[in-house]
Amino acid sequence: RQVASQCRLLQSSSGRPSSPQLPQLPDEPISLQDAPGGLFQLPPGDPFPERVTVAWLSVVALAFALVCDPQENLSLAEITLRRLAPRLLTSLRLLGPGADVLLRPDAADVLLDRLLPHGQMLFLNEHFLQAVDREM
Amino acid sequence: MFTAAAESFLKQAREIQEEELRRFASRVAAILQGPELGPEAADCLQRLHLTVAATKYPRKLDGKFVELLQTVLCSSKSPEQIQVLCAAILREMSPCNDLILSCDEIQDTKLLSLVCSVLLAQGNKKAEVSAVGQRIVKVLERRLPERQGARYLLPVLSNVISLSPESLTEEQTNVVSKKMADWLRYASVQQGVAQPSGGFFSNPRTRQPGPVTEVDGAIATDFFTVLSVGQYYTEDQWLNVQAFSMLRHWLLCYGAKGLKTPNSDDKSGMDRSVMSMVSTTSTSSRLLLPKDRLREKAFEYCQRLIEQSNRRPLKKDDGDLQKACLIEAVTIIDIICKQDSSYVYRAVSFLKILHSRISGDTTYARALLPIAQFFLNHGKMAAVDSDAIYKHLFTDIPAQLFHNPSLAFEFVQFCKDNTQLFTETSSIFRQSFPNLFKFLAWNSPPLISEFVDLLPFLLDAGTAIEIFHLLLDLPCLTAALDIQLRSPALPTSEKAACDPAVKPATCLEAFRHPLYKSMFQYLLRTKSAPEDAPERLIPLRQLLGSLASSPRVVQCAETVPVLLELFFRVVAEFADGPLINQLVVLLLQRSDQLYEIPAFKDDVYRVLGSQLVMLCKLRPALVVELSTEILEFSGTVSNIQNKEAIFTHMVWAIGEYMSVSYDKRCTVEQINQFFETLEAMLFEITQLRPLASTPSYAPRAISVLMATLTKLAARSQDLIPRVSMFLSKMRTFVQSPAVTSVYCEEDLDEILIRATELMNLLKMPSVAQFVFTPPVDVASTRFQREVNDSLPFALRIVTRLLEPAPGFMPG
Repeated sequence: RQVASQCRLLQSSSGRPSSPQLPQLPDEPISLQDAPGGLFQLPPGDPFPERVTVAWLSVVALAFALVCDPQENLSLAEITLRRLAPRLLTSLRLLGPGADVLLRPDAADVLLDRLLPHGQMLFLNEHFLQAVDREM
Repeated sequence: MFTAAAESFLKQAREIQEEELRRFASRVAAILQGPELGPEAADCLQRLHLTVAATKYPRKLDGKFVELLQTVLCSSKSPEQIQVLCAAILREMSPCNDLILSCDEIQDTKLLSLVCSVLLAQGNKKAEVSAVGQRIVKVLERRLPERQGARYLLPVLSNVISLSPESLTEEQTNVVSKKMADWLRYASVQQGVAQPSGGFFSNPRTRQPGPVTEVDGAIATDFFTVLSVGQYYTEDQWLNVQAFSMLRHWLLCYGAKGLKTPNSDDKSGMDRSVMSMVSTTSTSSRLLLPKDRLREKAFEYCQRLIEQSNRRPLKKDDGDLQKACLIEAVTIIDIICKQDSSYVYRAVSFLKILHSRISGDTTYARALLPIAQFFLNHGKMAAVDSDAIYKHLFTDIPAQLFHNPSLAFEFVQFCKDNTQLFTETSSIFRQSFPNLFKFLAWNSPPLISEFVDLLPFLLDAGTAIEIFHLLLDLPCLTAALDIQLRSPALPTSEKAACDPAVKPATCLEAFRHPLYKSMFQYLLRTKSAPEDAPERLIPLRQLLGSLASSPRVVQCAETVPVLLELFFRVVAEFADGPLINQLVVLLLQRSDQLYEIPAFKDDVYRVLGSQLVMLCKLRPALVVELSTEILEFSGTVSNIQNKEAIFTHMVWAIGEYMSVSYDKRCTVEQINQFFETLEAMLFEITQLRPLASTPSYAPRAISVLMATLTKLAARSQDLIPRVSMFLSKMRTFVQSPAVTSVYCEEDLDEILIRATELMNLLKMPSVAQFVFTPPVDVASTRFQREVNDSLPFALRIVTRLLEPAPGFMPG
């Protein structure tokens, strides 16, 4: 919810209109270079017991949020998010009409287990990332 | 939000009843106990997961069924997908009382990781975290054969220490520290081999793998790191990546100096660092304790990463990782130096070089923050002059990169982490606050709550006035930044061609125009520069009016009222008499000079009005001291409509504090002067114009004018007849048709009631005097506390006295 409002605020501030319809799923991998994203902080108690920082990313009508402890590397969080998002989009067909996101927790779990095992962000260079993709 | 199909699925899942769920569970149980676990089993488990996860309240599943799930999870016959699903369901049900899972017998590390994920989600009621921690360390301690992936276990360990750092003994942390040091420093520098694909035509002789390379393609000549590149990776290289990924966390948890090492007992910090300067190649590292050894290897690793970040990557995305690694490396070095100051001298030299290397490159700006933090923490000890670093950071970076939201966020966090820097008046940090506000002006929504935390540290008697102006002009700053971003760099010949006599047609043109240039420069300044003439920016504000409806400007404008209220709250704590007076004068002045955004102005007036009252309460004497300015403000008819909130509160304050009991210097002449001015105002807004249409004024303005006039009359009793006569005329006003068509009935009733009460009060002048001019030290009684409430209360009492109830009046 908070991510959604941050996203809408950011989009409106840059003057871009938000498109209400879902576009066709593109065939080539979605480039997320220009996808809007950002960072903000949540105070303790709302809803996490400690203070946390949230990195978020928005792709079309979807928002992804990664919740980090204060001591974590935010640059890496943004990188991790930008890697997770397209893989989740593809694997769960998130922009399509189906309900895979609800019925395939195993697909999401496998992805998260590789790129964010037990919540640990990983410093993976591009070749390592390819090796991870190969394993899946 | 969801697609239609997903919405309906979710709804169905939520509405499944207990009985239906039980039946479904037994069906699933039957399938799970069957010989083959194929797609049907997976499908059922997926639906079961959705059912359990869809509701906020926990779903009950039969204890035996839960046991079955656990058995299936741990069975080696179950395919991976089934195991993952069982684990997901079990996690979803945490905390779960029927858990019999134990990590002790499991050999396969992938499965172990999965089981641990379930155990760690249980909330640690039965010391699961500790049990997991023990098991993981035990497994890591053994020499694992190549195939067994220890890499699946390190993230579990990281999770364990987040949840409960005490669950590992010192011996265990030493074991892990030792291993981590090896993984970081001694991973293979040869690439891995592809798993043989098998098949009839496969060539059994695989090619010899080559050495790993750097991100720019060069052959690596030093040890393996996360920035090393290969086609395939070996197990220890994986461990290298994971060890580094959790290194910061590990050092923060267990790296601090606890025991005394045998070497450091009698040597001071200085001597130790001299020693390390002499023997820079660490010789007998094997003799170091595991903690110290890990620190040494970690330091070397980070140093290598810093060197590696200098290379130009072949793949663009590797560049992002290089920057993230750089930030991580510097941060870890900072932590290491905090834990063992002998590293400071080694670090200082190459960190300074790093800074010179990246300070000109805006893509590396985020890395400047941990570097600055390092010098803040350790620069003094190393007797290093790092002022140039701070100057560059605070002067250049915000001005150039305010539009980068991630940098903006991290920069403000940096300020919040180091608020002690802002207390020193002459410091570069404090002087740069105009620059800091650029971050807020451009990125308002995520940063407003951060600035609410930061603002009190920037405010003191020296900066209050400038920050007041800055806050009121914050949306202008947004507009100016927008223009600055859009204005191209003009060649010098074009600059000269700008004719001062010709007015600029657009904002962009105005940016270079001699008339406006200095105004822009002032608004966009990087350092504090208290200005005496706030009127200076009036033409610029008008010019920027065309951008007043731009979304970013409007967003910024919404943050101003919040910050203004905070501003006054903080200033009230330290402001002295002259500062309060100055603020009131400026408040009245600036009310004419605000950026033209209607909602913005209304909100600002509302805040300024109530804060004006607060300032008068703090220092009632100001009403007398600033009588000239206040008279001028309250004597301007247009203020009643345009700035109603401020006007009303100002008039209320006059009524309240213009009295000898608040300031001995208050003379009868002054009271009379205010009376005449306000009487003229009330006359102006209540006169009935026969031909012209009656403009409507806020009813509360009328009320407060009447009340204040009455109060003043109570103090200078010659005025009483005039007020009484005026008040008696209010009945005519309220009942005239021109007025009833413009004001609503409740408001007119209220006005009439108030006028009557005030008139009654004036019939008993000594009571009126008491009510309206209480002794100052009675201020804490309930009667006085909220005067806006107490006046009606007082009036009601008096009215009751004047209209005797039966049996009340004696004789």
